[in-house]
Amino acid sequence: MRRTFPILITVVVGWVLIVADFIPHKPFGNLGDDFALYFDIIAVFAFILGGGNLFRIHLTKVQKKKKDWPFSIVTLGGFIVMLAAGLFKIGNPGGIQGDVAAVGSLFNDMYMQIFTPLQASMFALLAFFVGSASYRAFRAKTTEATILLIAAFIVLLGRTPFGLWLTSGLTGDMSFLQLPNLTDWIMDVPNLAGQRAIMIGIALGVISMSLRLILGVERTYLGGDSD
Amino acid sequence: MGYSVISGLRKSVPTCIIALTLLLGPSAFAQESPDTATVDSVFVSEAVESAASPRAAQLNVVQDSRGDAGGAISVKWFRSPDDGMGADNITGYEIFRSESPDGLFESVGFASRGRTSFEDATTVDGQTYYYYLATVSATGVSRSGVSAGARSSAQWLNTRDIDTLIIGFIICFSVIFFIYHAQKGKKLFLRKIAGLEAVDEAIGRATEMGRPILFIPGIQDLDNVQTVAGLTILGRIARTIADYDTKINMPVSRSIVMATARETIKQAYVAAGRPDAYSDDMVYYLTDEQFGYVAAVDGIMVREKPATCFYLGAFFAESLIMAETGNSIGAIQIAGTAMPSQLPFFIAACDYTLIGEELFAASAYLSDEPRQLGALKGQDVGKIIAMSVILVLCILFSVAAITESESILSLANTFKGWFSLS
Amino acid sequence: MLNEMIGLWIGAFLTLGIMSFLYKDNPWYKICEAIFIGISAGYWFASMWWQNLVAKLIDNLWPALVALGHGEIQYNLVYLVAAVLGVMMLLRLVPGVGWLSRWPIAVIVGATAGLQFINFLVSNGVKQIRNTIVPLFGPISDAGGIPPVQSWEEALGNVVILVGTFTGLVYFFFSKEHKGLFGGTAKVGTWFIMITFGASFGYTVMSRMSLFIGRLDFLVNDWVMVTLDFVGL
Repeated sequence: MRRTFPILITVVVGWVLIVADFIPHKPFGNLGDDFALYFDIIAVFAFILGGGNLFRIHLTKVQKKKKDWPFSIVTLGGFIVMLAAGLFKIGNPGGIQGDVAAVGSLFNDMYMQIFTPLQASMFALLAFFVGSASYRAFRAKTTEATILLIAAFIVLLGRTPFGLWLTSGLTGDMSFLQLPNLTDWIMDVPNLAGQRAIMIGIALGVISMSLRLILGVERTYLGGDSD
Repeated sequence: MGYSVISGLRKSVPTCIIALTLLLGPSAFAQESPDTATVDSVFVSEAVESAASPRAAQLNVVQDSRGDAGGAISVKWFRSPDDGMGADNITGYEIFRSESPDGLFESVGFASRGRTSFEDATTVDGQTYYYYLATVSATGVSRSGVSAGARSSAQWLNTRDIDTLIIGFIICFSVIFFIYHAQKGKKLFLRKIAGLEAVDEAIGRATEMGRPILFIPGIQDLDNVQTVAGLTILGRIARTIADYDTKINMPVSRSIVMATARETIKQAYVAAGRPDAYSDDMVYYLTDEQFGYVAAVDGIMVREKPATCFYLGAFFAESLIMAETGNSIGAIQIAGTAMPSQLPFFIAACDYTLIGEELFAASAYLSDEPRQLGALKGQDVGKIIAMSVILVLCILFSVAAITESESILSLANTFKGWFSLS
Repeated sequence: MLNEMIGLWIGAFLTLGIMSFLYKDNPWYKICEAIFIGISAGYWFASMWWQNLVAKLIDNLWPALVALGHGEIQYNLVYLVAAVLGVMMLLRLVPGVGWLSRWPIAVIVGATAGLQFINFLVSNGVKQIRNTIVPLFGPISDAGGIPPVQSWEEALGNVVILVGTFTGLVYFFFSKEHKGLFGGTAKVGTWFIMITFGASFGYTVMSRMSLFIGRLDFLVNDWVMVTLDFVGL
């Protein structure tokens, strides 16, 4: 019962939603939307578990003076202040009925002044990691890596003024070899072909995965076949 | 010959579906009669013509939009003789609606020149509506006659998506057939996938080194099928981890994923006969924020130095930040995702990468169960179907183009119509 | 002006702290990381609280509660089920009935399987197959409604796309060993897939560089310049 019933729920819900896609009439027509709502609501309740877990871990770290515990105080402080600012709408010009992210609220101020620069900086680290990943690909000696690198190099240059300048001497019959033209061709032809093979493969993979789930064949997400 | 066979097949399929619908719910059988009004016979010509006015378009048919959830009436017309020909000065067509044929008509929409249909998606089911069309040109406006009444209603079968249903049915059938065929038959051959061959070695390495395994299930929630795929693989890996008594470290960015992953790992420990070795602390929530999550994961990597990193799920820009950091600490890295834009970065920074379809196949591979492997064989049949369709139709269209044969073209178009999208 | 200065200094402190990770892990980065986790987790929960729980559930189930008044509960089945599933998730915290939380998980997995089945069948499968079906070559003129192939370059492109899609799919075959002719075809398929990845890689590099330039721009033009301005230099 504890294990079999959830599998049964998955099976029934899965099949009903597939069939419902072909039945526009109520109540089937809007079942997809209903499940999106269920998901959103379950997510809020689940956050009480997730956020509670975050809170507990850091509180324990502080209490037991584990390694790096002072940083846990910072996490706890940030979490509590941001949560209070949002839930009680502190400093919100519209009061408790105002929009949670209204300009002038503490919630919005913290978002703009702290959250945003952190987010942008973390994202910007990618510039360096793209560099180190390119270097690694450059050192790989396989045919596949070479093809990847050549395509990447052409597309990278082809999208810059430098690429245009570099090959602007190729005119007339050779103009298709100009880097921007070559880039367009790579994007529109071999890239598109590879893209399609990958996407059709993914479609089949998802279909097969979904079928295994709603036939009850795949049940590891609830812990395999044991009880 | 081929043509008639195809159209016959297409006709028989809706019958099967209605039968299927009947099985699922007896009330589903109640097909409404179409609320159609053919306009030609009921024209009330009220158009005010002047020398400057364009020649008016005439209504063709006004009826309930088919195969929908109600709330829409489709209006179709014949183009004005001045649209694309004649004086060629039409701007477009304005559609007017009223609840009585001689009541107040209000505009419900505008269709640009060249168009011959409009869907009024603002109707109330059961209410009768009357329409007329105003043909608009730069110099004037001409009205069509008023249509007969039409009502909208919801249907039990989405006839627009029948083609999708047929294709889905064929692929489903091949997968299901092989799942149950494999149950009885001998074990299927499967080619090796390097990333999956390396899983045991990667776990063994972490065990020997006494370092943890880091498992990242992507940054999307359980409503993304890639996350589900990642967790099914986790179920298989967790079993080995439980057997070896290796440490697993699984920070997540979604609370539902946390709850599910705990359930997955716990059951794996139970199955391995070591329920006491399981702890909830193996899986913990960090934050829903993409870059906050990766900031924390990077910190965990450089401080705890996992011997093995798994990245299996849906990834965005954070993929490369994690994979490069993992690379810098010398971890064995196995990644898998169906996000085409992130695959190149995993390929550059990880030891093994499962590409798209391979991610979804991974848990079946690792399970070694005949039924799961049968599903993979079914996928291959799906591929054969897709490849055959593409090849045959490309050739058919090419032949039609070269020979300029109308009959080959219409045959090719019929086939291609199966892959139309509503 | 002072407020703006404080904001800029906080921004600069956090930006440099995150960047310092490139050198190595250090306390400055750890502070930024700790702030980021705490603030963003709080941000997400407060947003979900108001946008999902209040706006989507309580507003529909018990509107009077939102207005802090007394009123009737609206017994709408859809919203009641949503509330029950949410509460079931929380039962993990209650010893003895924790297994009930598997039910909402099972609902989500089932719904995901069903909805994504259709989505991927249509948008990835059917649509991509349809887009690949074109006349490979043909007369330059418009023949009976088929869009004409304008030039031999276009014809060549069509053939290459067909070959690439075809061989790429061969690579994904699971139940046949990649050797002989089949293996060679699969090999060609991997080349196409690698070109796709390379193109995607090359396409992304510049945008990633511009992100970094954006942060540099903040540090130099906003933080340093405004500060110099503020102290009167």
